[in-house]
Amino acid sequence: MYGKKVSSLLESINADVMDRIRLSSGKVVLEGEVMPSTEANDLDVLIVKLSSGYNIGIDPSKYKVEKIESAKRTTERPAAKFSRNRELPDVSLIYTGGTIGSMVDYKTGAVHSPTKPEDLLEAVPEIAEMANISVLPLMSMMSEDMAHDEWARIAIAVAKELNNGARGVIIAHGTDIMHYTSATLSFMLSGLNAPVVLTGSQRSSDRGSSDAFMNLTCSTSVAARSDIAEVGICMHHTSSDTACAFIRGTKARKMHTSRRDTFRPINDKPIALVERTGAIKYTGEYRKIERGEAAKLKLMTGYDRKVALIKVFPGSDPAVIDFYREKGYNGIILEGTGLGHTPITPTRKEDSWLPYVKDAIDNGMIVGMTSQCLYGRVNTNVYRNLRLLNSVGVVYCEDMTPETALVKLGWLLGNYGKDEARKMLNTNVAGEIKSRTEFDTFLV
Amino acid sequence: MDEDYYRKLGFRCGLEIHQRLDTGEKLFCACSTEQDSNSIGKVYRMQRAVAGELGAIDRAARFEQGKKRRFEYNLYESSTCLVDADEEPPHELNNDALRTVLSLASAMGMNVMDEIEPMRKNVADGSDTSAFQRTMLVGFDGSITVNGRKVGIPSVCLEEESCGIEKDYGEEIAYNVDRLGIPLIEIATSADIASPQMAKDVALHIGMLLRLTGKVKRGLGTIRQDVNVSIAGGARVEIKGLQDVSMLNRFVENEVRRQKELADIAKLLARSKAMVGKAVDVTEIFEGTKAELIRKKLERGGRAIAFSLSGFAGLLGREINPNRRLGSEISDYAKTAGAGGIIHSDEDMGKYGLSREELGSLKKRLGMKDGDSFILVAEKAGIAERTIEMARERAQRAIEGVPKETRVAVNDESCTSRFTRPLPGGARMYPETDVRPISIDKKMLDEAAESAPDIEKEGRMLKAQLGDDRTVELLMRSPRLQLYRAITRRKGMDCRLVANILLQKFTELSRNGFAMDNISDEKLIDIFAAYSEDKITKQAIDELLKAASKESSLKIDGAIRALGLGRITGKELSTLVSRFKKEEKTSDVGQLKKAIMSKHRLNIDGEELNNLLA
Repeated sequence: MYGKKVSSLLESINADVMDRIRLSSGKVVLEGEVMPSTEANDLDVLIVKLSSGYNIGIDPSKYKVEKIESAKRTTERPAAKFSRNRELPDVSLIYTGGTIGSMVDYKTGAVHSPTKPEDLLEAVPEIAEMANISVLPLMSMMSEDMAHDEWARIAIAVAKELNNGARGVIIAHGTDIMHYTSATLSFMLSGLNAPVVLTGSQRSSDRGSSDAFMNLTCSTSVAARSDIAEVGICMHHTSSDTACAFIRGTKARKMHTSRRDTFRPINDKPIALVERTGAIKYTGEYRKIERGEAAKLKLMTGYDRKVALIKVFPGSDPAVIDFYREKGYNGIILEGTGLGHTPITPTRKEDSWLPYVKDAIDNGMIVGMTSQCLYGRVNTNVYRNLRLLNSVGVVYCEDMTPETALVKLGWLLGNYGKDEARKMLNTNVAGEIKSRTEFDTFLV
Repeated sequence: MDEDYYRKLGFRCGLEIHQRLDTGEKLFCACSTEQDSNSIGKVYRMQRAVAGELGAIDRAARFEQGKKRRFEYNLYESSTCLVDADEEPPHELNNDALRTVLSLASAMGMNVMDEIEPMRKNVADGSDTSAFQRTMLVGFDGSITVNGRKVGIPSVCLEEESCGIEKDYGEEIAYNVDRLGIPLIEIATSADIASPQMAKDVALHIGMLLRLTGKVKRGLGTIRQDVNVSIAGGARVEIKGLQDVSMLNRFVENEVRRQKELADIAKLLARSKAMVGKAVDVTEIFEGTKAELIRKKLERGGRAIAFSLSGFAGLLGREINPNRRLGSEISDYAKTAGAGGIIHSDEDMGKYGLSREELGSLKKRLGMKDGDSFILVAEKAGIAERTIEMARERAQRAIEGVPKETRVAVNDESCTSRFTRPLPGGARMYPETDVRPISIDKKMLDEAAESAPDIEKEGRMLKAQLGDDRTVELLMRSPRLQLYRAITRRKGMDCRLVANILLQKFTELSRNGFAMDNISDEKLIDIFAAYSEDKITKQAIDELLKAASKESSLKIDGAIRALGLGRITGKELSTLVSRFKKEEKTSDVGQLKKAIMSKHRLNIDGEELNNLLA
């Protein structure tokens, strides 16, 4: 939106965005199309696109401005048509938003989500050679805006597609909280007997270098061809367009703000590496699709939103626990230091977390402990302080990531009673806890 | 040929000059802009054409996409970060680069935007890891005066340098990412350049202006000229990447000749109602052939495909530029599909080992009549088809006239060029939303006016230092002007000596194979300082220059000692003279001087010796 100065000028000459105008001042004459203001612009500067393609910012008060031509209305581009091939499996692509669907308007630079998610297919025609893809636009949200309501909607949509005969499901999703979604879906889609693949992109698909193309190709291969019966994330394995990794949904984590290979398995190996061509190489253990079995998929979309994730830091105030208790929270996951510590015997006695944690647990809250190291397993025995925390009833969450522990607790409280939830928190449900920490799972 | 000749041809010519800036950091990140040889690894990327404005994929982008190439990028320690690897959004615009482009714009009397809008220009040949180049229009509607004539400067842009090609494997290209993102100024002239010689003069003039900013890089490839040329009946052709400005006029002359010849050929083809035949698979004709080139391809499952050209007889082999024929033009197009080359009937069939029977069958199969020609390709399946399609397209265009295209300069004696891709359309630019627009205020413009390079002022200053007009002129045109200014900024420097060494000695030593661009500015300053402080003689400067060109880590003081170049002066020289007088048993000035200098030529200043002996 332009400021008042520019808006009223455009109004006075009856010019709108995309109309051609002429700016003249002495010998200088410029002609071009009116561009919309981006929010980054000085709002009193008019953006004009010259015929060379360059945009320029002009203070229109220095020029005489005339409208010379109304905008030509653009014709709709015909959508790509994909005919159904009986030989190929059916795969559903559920579109939820994020960078993978961000389409730039090349003329104005405005970024918007595709009104037709088929646009995604058009950009990657090779996926139509692996599967009959049906696109289901479920929502269009940047992932940082999502939470448990969306997770339930996605789970329901996945179940519906699978029950209607889809061999596998791809979910196009923003990357910021994709690992929260993948973990939650792993719990909500109980008894899953098909591949469910979340994918996204770190470079928007309007640029030729986008990672979206290979991510979609590899995800389609997993959904259409693999025998994996789990929820996972399929994105770049390295910075190169060589292969994607399919990472278990409860073990994945976004580890880089901007790189293509941001998703890494934590305390786990990728289930599979998928080459650019779609060839799948299995690299870890996984639950396999059971042939001939009647669908046993059980949707468990309950979720208790009264759970919180708290990071412990030096000098942190444990009274934050009281805040949540007073707000009626039912569970807290702590992101402790090292093996699962909080301050217990600090110089300032009032900074000890122990009485607050005990108080919370005595009041019926579930308190789980994870580590801000992310890699490795928490432990209840090595140090006295660990034993003290454990003795007041903190549940040590083994090798789970803090984020997975959080959504697991929300899901447990939403579907089971508190006692059951407490017991199940450090028991494996969907691959989130492994009894062995394999040597070669650090920084991979 | 004079300007009149070119005017009659309907000659139009404009230049685009690209100059790398010598800023400490890159345009949109904090990486070094220096050459970097510490490779830290590679990444491999695929790029594809994406739908452009109004859904249309830019013509040049689609053309490159048709080639389906995988790109390899070499990453470097100090000159590549995640921004260059297309793994992190760009940082803020480099201020030094902005200031430099603003002073240049001021020197050319340009109007500067109130707000500069960074754009993305789609690039499909893989030379940008992001598949686009960041670029921004800074000023418009300026002019320069060259030899008393005004030349319009419609635009000056600030943009990112692309990657350098390390190796072109045909189906894959390896790029070096160290260069990517170095600030680049692009100056475009209007198309009113009247002759090839004027094109060269304009390029030299702009080069001079750029160097006067004191902020440009020197050395091979740091300045590049692109030339746009057309004549009446021809078409706009862009020749990219000319490195040696002294050859620019010859490139333009050759392009004019090429367009004239092609326009002539088109007329002849029209008269003979020329036609391009359909592609025909002729693999079976060549099964078991003795023509090795074809046999090898077919044995590996390749295909032989051909088409006829009616009415082209003799024209494929007609020379249109030194050693370039219409056949070479078609071959250049065809090769972009990945083939090694094509065979055409105006070539000597004997050199391929094709038998008379095979040629007979081929002509029959293609339905050729007398006076018809053919083009044949044997290649891997897929590549063969694409190659033939490209060749047919170019042959068809020959009937229509001169195709609009982008060509690349062949930087050798021939001063010719080769086809690289069709001219890009206008649909390849959109806003760079990851960078904020840059507001330009009055203070910035005032500073720019203050620091604007001024050729006349510079000329007067140099005249005062050097006296001689010819040296001033040569220095103003030299890429080492900036260096001259840096050296002579120090007190006590002998300006004339510095100028002569930078101009003549550098050229002479370069010609003799010394890598003079290897010598850093600091090192040169050290050498001249050693001279002005009487540590070495004039003659020793040569020896130090040679040594420094061979070893970039050379320390000048150490080298003076190691090479025995220390000056013998004052008392030491008097003692030496006395010794020689005794040894030579003579006091004849001429004899003594000869004897002393034959042993200590590099260490003794002739004038000082003369004074002593006199």
